[in-house]
Amino acid sequence: MSGVDDILALLFAAIAIIGAVSAHLQHDRFNKLIAIGIIFGGIIPFIVDRGYLDIAILVSLIIPITTIIILQICRRREASDA
Amino acid sequence: MTPEFILGCVILIIGVIAAGFPRPRTYLSRLICLEIPGLGLLLIMLAYDEMLALVTFIGVTAISTFVLVRVVERRGLE
Amino acid sequence: MIALYLVAVIAVFAVIRATVERNTGRKLPYVNVMNFAIAGALVLLLDHPLTLVAAAAYFIGSTLEANAIASTYAGGVRRG
Repeated sequence: MSGVDDILALLFAAIAIIGAVSAHLQHDRFNKLIAIGIIFGGIIPFIVDRGYLDIAILVSLIIPITTIIILQICRRREASDA
Repeated sequence: MTPEFILGCVILIIGVIAAGFPRPRTYLSRLICLEIPGLGLLLIMLAYDEMLALVTFIGVTAISTFVLVRVVERRGLE
Repeated sequence: MIALYLVAVIAVFAVIRATVERNTGRKLPYVNVMNFAIAGALVLLLDHPLTLVAAAAYFIGSTLEANAIASTYAGGVRRG
């Protein structure tokens, strides 16, 4: 039951590539941030599959902090428009 | 040629194109698109089992994003 | 073993459905479906006790991220 085979790696890779292409094609900034979250959901099973669980915990807690830092500037622009 | 290496190269190339030619040409769009090649480089580092480099890279990426947000905020978002 | 494939197919379906959606507010529930599916796949992937902690950390982080995006999209905390 351990390890990903070819079909499973293809499914998770499809998630990451769909997210990457979607992040380039979207115009709205919130849609771009949602696409960044989709890419991260696609790459975290590869980290767990190699057996580095502590790295997976650390990366899972740092990546949302980066998104929240970028969200501060979106909120500031929203307040300046109103 | 593990699947991590191939997927990392594909995401790195897509991210470089996205960060070089962002669709709305603003600083905020370019800053958001700069996250994509970082995640691709994370997968390439994972394929070579460089775990200390991976953790350092993720931490420095978060700090540099904080600095760049301050710079873009001072410059005025256009 | 079939559960892992089922969860991965659900995640791919949720990603496709979230990508083709135009409205940002309607995109976020499908992103939540993808987060639940990925967290389930992480538990089923390895037989190690620390896998539960990794899946819980991913679940907490992704839920926090999605809620922060939704809160900022709805107008922020200051006006509420």
